[in-house]
Amino acid sequence: MSPPAANSDEQEDALQHLKSRGYCSPEQCVIRIEHLTKTFQDKQRTVTAVDDVTFDVKRGEIFGLLGPNGAGKSTLIRILTTLLKPTSGTAFVDVYEITRDPEKIRGIIGVCPQNSTLDNELTAYDNLEFYGKLEDVDDRILPDRIWELLAMVGLTDRAHMKVQTFSGGMKRKLEIVRAFIHRPLILFLDEPTIGLDPESRREVWQQIEHLNAENTTIILTTHYMDEAEKLCGRIAFVDRGRLISLDTMDNLRLLLPAGDLIEIGFDRLDDRIISAIRAHDLVISADVKEQRLYITAKNGNTILPAILAIFDRYAVTITAISIRSPSLEDVFIYLTGKNLSDGGGSNGAQGGGGVPAPDRRRPS
Amino acid sequence: MIKGAVAIFKRDFKKFLGNPFVIIFTLLMPIMYLVIFGNAMGGSISHVSIAVVQEEPYVHEPPLFTAFVDDLKHTAQKDNPPTFDVAVYTDELKAKRALQGGVVSGVLVLPSPLFVDRPIRLYVDSSDSVTPTVIISGVNAALVQSGSHNQVEINKIYGDIKYIQFFGVGVIVMAIFMTTMMGGGIALIKDREMGIIEGYFVTPVKRSSIIMGMIASGTVRAFLSGFVIFIVDLLITGIIIQTPENFFMVLLVLFITSIGITSFMVSMASRFSNQQEYASMSAFFNLILFMTSGAFYPVIGMPDWLRWITIINPEYYAVHALRSIILRGQGIDVIGTDLIALCIFSVAAMILGIATYRRTLE
Repeated sequence: MSPPAANSDEQEDALQHLKSRGYCSPEQCVIRIEHLTKTFQDKQRTVTAVDDVTFDVKRGEIFGLLGPNGAGKSTLIRILTTLLKPTSGTAFVDVYEITRDPEKIRGIIGVCPQNSTLDNELTAYDNLEFYGKLEDVDDRILPDRIWELLAMVGLTDRAHMKVQTFSGGMKRKLEIVRAFIHRPLILFLDEPTIGLDPESRREVWQQIEHLNAENTTIILTTHYMDEAEKLCGRIAFVDRGRLISLDTMDNLRLLLPAGDLIEIGFDRLDDRIISAIRAHDLVISADVKEQRLYITAKNGNTILPAILAIFDRYAVTITAISIRSPSLEDVFIYLTGKNLSDGGGSNGAQGGGGVPAPDRRRPS
Repeated sequence: MIKGAVAIFKRDFKKFLGNPFVIIFTLLMPIMYLVIFGNAMGGSISHVSIAVVQEEPYVHEPPLFTAFVDDLKHTAQKDNPPTFDVAVYTDELKAKRALQGGVVSGVLVLPSPLFVDRPIRLYVDSSDSVTPTVIISGVNAALVQSGSHNQVEINKIYGDIKYIQFFGVGVIVMAIFMTTMMGGGIALIKDREMGIIEGYFVTPVKRSSIIMGMIASGTVRAFLSGFVIFIVDLLITGIIIQTPENFFMVLLVLFITSIGITSFMVSMASRFSNQQEYASMSAFFNLILFMTSGAFYPVIGMPDWLRWITIINPEYYAVHALRSIILRGQGIDVIGTDLIALCIFSVAAMILGIATYRRTLE
């Protein structure tokens, strides 16, 4: 999928809209990021990990931060979770400014970092208890809360086993609920399903949706398209430290020149059907090839009933029907001209791992 | 086969060169050993304070007394400061009290000119492994010089103390140091590498709470290991602690020492994020602090510049306090200064730790 040869005005507008910050009103807004920039100094070079990023996150949404490896997602999360100080710009988490009130912010956020921070030598219960005490959870409710969380992830029977005996999925789920032990206002999940098998990923997703249902705003970074599509209300694309676009999944799909692809099988076709379908506003094209009708349309989900009604009107039997939405990956390729899973590596200028995450083993 | 070997060689060598801190410290170590160990051990003894008392009755200054004082004052090895600092006491009791309080290392009592046949009495602080020998040989030399034929009666005020008993006290302090610097510090850095510290940072827990928690757990660990080695030391060297008060005093010293060294370790370890760098650093500190603590060899045998280090060395005060209680049965009046010094060190290390602890990843 490549950028269209000639952009229509409508697409220009959509693009313009996406490049905006995704503004929301102050009472709706839980995170407000203003011109945030972070550069890392090295002996040989200066790397800009986050480059003048501005956007808002709405209260109660699942917000996806998408981009290839080294795009600056983790750095952005680390700034918002007060682990790093921005080079310039500012951000507000709830009502607190990140450099002025880091202590306040730490009290209202839960963080599940990319690399596990569980203590492998402690049991699941002890890990939760330790964290609960650090998060200042009331001692009277803490034991119940721990059992509740353990039950939530199905680890009740392993509560008193050391974490090092757990599978990757179990650890991940434990870490996610650990970040939630104090019922934070905002939950940051940095690559929550990285390295997990499909089964565990589904469980983690369920977990995230469950937590979101408890009025928690969730900020999720990922480079898995399906994950963002499944979970996120709004998605911000980040590449090389810059915010490329920010919008809802459905609006992002609008960006695709081809729209959705609808494929309908039939025995016998009436030409009037094709002209009726072509007459529809959202349909871009409709062609017949080998007993199949291929329709490309914007917002395929909403047009499908109308198409079915047309077939119904002319009493034509449908033998098969399929609709394929362009995936987020297609959107990303369209926006950046490169593949999401390529990571920064495909880009010569970045060399290897792209923007290095601040390496906690060797801070300077 | 060769290709693989070359690849491994190159990788190792790259890593070696990539860590200049470790290279410097690995090279610095033997040099420090040479300079510090070489100087701390077996340096020539000087400035041993010795009290000289003339037994009553006497008139003016008896010749034997003058001869001894003069001779001892001028004893010195070539190119060295005088071996003895002679203090003249008029009262034998006062002199002995000074010996018990550790002010002087020996008391020489010269017989009255009226009773020439009486022996020359020498009292030495036998809790020190080296100075008694120096004093005895100095006195014998002075005796030969004076041409008198009096007998010398040597009294070791703490009985015969073996070197193992002298050294054992130092090992207790070493146990505390090892437990904190090697065990505790490495564990802290491993936590940082594992990201557990990063886990702390995103919680509202305060910097001072993190430091205090780490110091508390480290102190208990260090205290327990110091206590175990103390008991083992008693069993092996056969020392008997005289009174329950002394026993508790030992525990108090162990505890304060543990706080001090643990605080120091925490403030160091929170600066380092690399196990190798930290390990070379703590080996360096172990060397310099233990060598100058007087655990091996009395501080009096060290050159002046090394003795300056002992002034800021918490282990010196710990060793001195423990030796005073365990070997000499002395009390709070003697070890008070040591305790104050240890407390000052602990507080300073804690403040340093809290002030320099990084609350963010940078």
